[in-house]
Amino acid sequence: MWLTIDDKQIEAKEGMSVLNAALGAGIYIPHLCGHPDLEAIGGCRLCSVEIEGMDQAVPSCMIKAQEGMKVSVHGPKAESTRKTAMELILATHPADCTGCPKYGKCELQSMYQYLGVGPERWKKKSRTVPTDDSNPLIRHLFTRCVRCGRCVRACRDLRGVKVLDFQRTEDGVRIGTDGNISLKEAGCKFCGACIEVCPTGSIMDALGQIREDVSYRESVVPCKTACPAHTDIPRYLRYIKEGEYEKATAVIREKLPFPETLGCICNHICETACKRNELGEPLSVCKLKRAAAAAHSDEWKKRRKTAAPTGKKAAVIGAGPAGLTAAYYLAKKGHEVTVFESNEKAGGQCRYGIPSYRLPDEVLDREISDILEVGVQLNVNTKADAPEVLLKQGYDTVLIATGTHKGIRLPLEGNMLSGVMLNTDFLKNARRNQIDDPGKRVMVLGGGNVAYDCARTALRLGAEEVHIACLEDGDQMTASTEEIREGRDEGIILHSGHSFLRITGNTKVEGVELQKVEKFYFDENRKAVIELVEGSRESIPVDRVIFAVGQAPAGMEELGIELNPGSYVKVNSSCSTSMPGVYGAGDVVTGTKSVIEAIAAGRQSAMEMDRYLGGDGDISEELLEKETADPFLGRTEDFGKLERLSPALLEPQERKKSFAAVEQTFTCEEAKCEAGRCLQCDLRLNLTNPRLWNEY
Amino acid sequence: MKQLQTDVIVVAAGLSGMAAGIAAAENGAEVIIFEKSNTTGGAANMGMGPLGVGSPIQKQQMISLTPGEAFRKHMYYTHYRVDARLVRDYYYKSGETIEWLMDMGVEFLGVQRAFNAPEATRAYSDGEFTWHVVKPEGGGAPGPRCATAMTKKMTERAKELGVVFYMETPVAKVIVEDGRAVGVIARDRDGGEIEARAKAVILATGGFGDNPEMIREQTGYEFGKTIFNFAIPGMKGEGIKMAWEAGAGRTPCTMELMYQLPDNMNHFILDGAFRQPCLWVNRNGYRFMPEDQIANTTFTGNAISSQPGFVAYSIFDSKLLKKYKKKGPDIISHVHPHDLFDHFDDQWGKDLADGYEPICQADTIEELAEKAGIDPEGLKKQVEEYNEMCETGFDEIFEKNRAFMQPIEKGPFYCCRQNVGAYGTLGGVKINHKTQVLNEEAKVIPGLYCVGTDACNIFGDSYPFILSGNSMGFCLNSGRIAGENAAEEAVEY
Repeated sequence: MWLTIDDKQIEAKEGMSVLNAALGAGIYIPHLCGHPDLEAIGGCRLCSVEIEGMDQAVPSCMIKAQEGMKVSVHGPKAESTRKTAMELILATHPADCTGCPKYGKCELQSMYQYLGVGPERWKKKSRTVPTDDSNPLIRHLFTRCVRCGRCVRACRDLRGVKVLDFQRTEDGVRIGTDGNISLKEAGCKFCGACIEVCPTGSIMDALGQIREDVSYRESVVPCKTACPAHTDIPRYLRYIKEGEYEKATAVIREKLPFPETLGCICNHICETACKRNELGEPLSVCKLKRAAAAAHSDEWKKRRKTAAPTGKKAAVIGAGPAGLTAAYYLAKKGHEVTVFESNEKAGGQCRYGIPSYRLPDEVLDREISDILEVGVQLNVNTKADAPEVLLKQGYDTVLIATGTHKGIRLPLEGNMLSGVMLNTDFLKNARRNQIDDPGKRVMVLGGGNVAYDCARTALRLGAEEVHIACLEDGDQMTASTEEIREGRDEGIILHSGHSFLRITGNTKVEGVELQKVEKFYFDENRKAVIELVEGSRESIPVDRVIFAVGQAPAGMEELGIELNPGSYVKVNSSCSTSMPGVYGAGDVVTGTKSVIEAIAAGRQSAMEMDRYLGGDGDISEELLEKETADPFLGRTEDFGKLERLSPALLEPQERKKSFAAVEQTFTCEEAKCEAGRCLQCDLRLNLTNPRLWNEY
Repeated sequence: MKQLQTDVIVVAAGLSGMAAGIAAAENGAEVIIFEKSNTTGGAANMGMGPLGVGSPIQKQQMISLTPGEAFRKHMYYTHYRVDARLVRDYYYKSGETIEWLMDMGVEFLGVQRAFNAPEATRAYSDGEFTWHVVKPEGGGAPGPRCATAMTKKMTERAKELGVVFYMETPVAKVIVEDGRAVGVIARDRDGGEIEARAKAVILATGGFGDNPEMIREQTGYEFGKTIFNFAIPGMKGEGIKMAWEAGAGRTPCTMELMYQLPDNMNHFILDGAFRQPCLWVNRNGYRFMPEDQIANTTFTGNAISSQPGFVAYSIFDSKLLKKYKKKGPDIISHVHPHDLFDHFDDQWGKDLADGYEPICQADTIEELAEKAGIDPEGLKKQVEEYNEMCETGFDEIFEKNRAFMQPIEKGPFYCCRQNVGAYGTLGGVKINHKTQVLNEEAKVIPGLYCVGTDACNIFGDSYPFILSGNSMGFCLNSGRIAGENAAEEAVEY
């Protein structure tokens, strides 16, 4: 149907309001309580227009467009209604824009800029309401509230959570919960829709939630931002909640080729970033990923694409997570990829550094075979030639992803005695079943996850008593709290906050001398300073000592490229080394980091190498059609109090006898339940931003 | 990464940025403006109007000040410590800029001066009628925020000229190649990077009033302790940092000092009510300036900044309050409501009940001093001395205007602490009279301009209130100068 607005003919759909018809046709009518995603209520009167045949100005949001209607936006009656409405709003709104966190991003500010309303009513006092910072994640600054009711409609109608409402108080009508209880008690789901629709600075993200160093979208969904591969966590958790594991896996697979591996051993910094931390414990993101991936659905492969052959050849040195990830994406871009691996199996540290009770061989084998499937040539037991030689052999580009496989031996008296081992050798040999006698009493030196890997492996190999000693105090150890707890349950004796003085013995290890640390810190030259407690020296009799104090790259000088201190590969921001066409990724560049960081580095190097080979560097893929998440959440009693679930563990006495996986996979019920705790922080980003006058 | 190409890029759509964008577009350049907010106008949305000298409005009101006189006056005020050529070009352009705005449809209520000096000091500090106060579009009296009518018209003008605005798209970096600015890296709302290239880049981000760390580093003031400046959200100093990173020379940054109450906009009635020539003392209880000068916010801000603890106290008694209520305030400010004292009791009672920390009331001077944190002995002595001088009718110490010598004797007594405030920051980036950015050796960095507050180095140590409207005036005119020069550089005819 057609109607006329300010002498302009515009088309409108049946049932459309005059306001929406005008906005849709690019004609701006001011409006504040109206929002594209919310029902109109005709409250603010700013959208008043004159319609031929009607005496009074009417709110255009409440009037249905009709054939032949003649509308005037700027008639005198409409302008006068609008002006009064705006003055009434400003009369109770503080004049203090300078201190308002919404300054410059405020719809009300844009509105008074557009309407240019005189300030003569400003002396009317604004009704001061104390700022409420008592709720997690959401701040209420209701002094600035203009009672447009958008938050109420978003909470009640759009989300169905029904927490916010208009409340009558002594000082007039306010927004709040029934009975003025906290958001958590009222059943708030902390989805943030109220924040998103608020046209003023009345409902805001709690201080510190919106970061300045990343974009708004990234701030709002911190788990996804924190993940080095930027996996779309809220999206796959929604599928897990519905039990749709194949879809969840596809979402994860859009960003990385090792979902189940990561589900077993990821260091999950996404969980540290999870907003649910503010309500208690974070989502069990890592274990949910495992639950989805362990279903082993191949649905995602249907949409997996491999480009036509480009005729270009790429060599990847090292079949760890970084190298394999890069190889996978390069092959999918149509390049011929050969991976050189000096060990007998692919997997790198995932295979030879992480014990199988944490990451079973089958999991790695399965995910590596998915990678090889796209046409990656894997040469195991093969030491690669130097990059320069590979280039001469006809490879167009080379990636160095050899990781850090050399254990570090501390300069300590007795460090060469028989019975002293290095973390890397010990774990690798254990994986190869090449340790016949792990010793009776074992001391692991170091406080990280690798120290626990060594200690718990020694137990499983039959050691009777296993100790860990480290300089750091318990809460400063780099080992994860789960590792420390599980190790303790298995009987590992921890000596945290101890310095190692020497290893005793004549030819064979007989013991380790420890002394309690008073203070341990790094001075201004970043040199470690250790102060010891006098008279606290003790000697622990052991027959094996394992150094687990870090690891470094090996054989780096032969590469013929520029290195950083510590023999790490030097690369620029495009992953490129000093030799054109040769790239570096993973631990060999950064030093020992997490598997997810190696995978992210593998992705980035693949993009850069593809560009180098003449491609567009675009390795993004859509393995699942984008579905719009349901904006309706509904109520869940005590949503804020739902506790984090953890997968079952084997009993300590049971598990320390074998290399069987310690942690079980979530059952489907558990996973659905745990995923249901997600706040769905990304949901608010689906809300439409009202266009301001300066965008018309 | 999204790629854009244009003639001129302007970083931020505040007053100076929009002036630059419009001027460049009027001179034939294609212009892109990146703005991190979703609203144009920046800090100017809180202001009232710009300076102009020789405008049609001044002519109509028979104000004879010429740009040359304004230039001389400005240079005298700043002791010739600032770039005379830039100051000269600014004042000579400023009158025509008012006309330029009027052509866009901006209406001005008239022209005003910031401060009316008492007879005894007029020769040194009387303000000129240079402040063009914008008429609110919906009519009514002027006040803070009325300049939004101007920013709106400018936005419309820019759009009409085809200037492309990228809102909510902050710029992170100026791209410099071979010593020349060739574009910027920006980031859109979703975090997507944009590489925009142009023949000229104009930085106009409005200083760092909302960056306490930078305030401390650059000026030594502690936000919320020694200074309570207008911290317009978003004024983080990015433009200055970007310019420095691109090799710009540094100029000392200053705070545009004045004084105010903490959170003053929520206590505006009290902010105005205590801005009277009653008794003003420092923390030791001593007077520190002739109170007839306190309407001069710049000098008073400077004076408070020199007192122990960076604070002063304004005190009156019940008799004086009664007089203010009956006859109106001694000094009428242009910024505060004129019927302040009709609302005084309401606001005072409420703020006292809420425990608003800068204010107190007491029945004796000693109790007042205790509550306010002033040295009781010092204040007692000072009040005695002051009251004696009031009786003789002459201020032997500072020769304060006789009309304001009104004793402080009848309780209850009212006291309000005054803190150092500031409108924002000034300067940081070295520019020449064409607003081209200069490196440390005062050589032009080709393609790079900086305007407005980021480059406002012409005020010396204090805001030149004698030529009021200078903050907005410099923003508008430096913006226009940059836009014209950038267009000349960018457009090939």
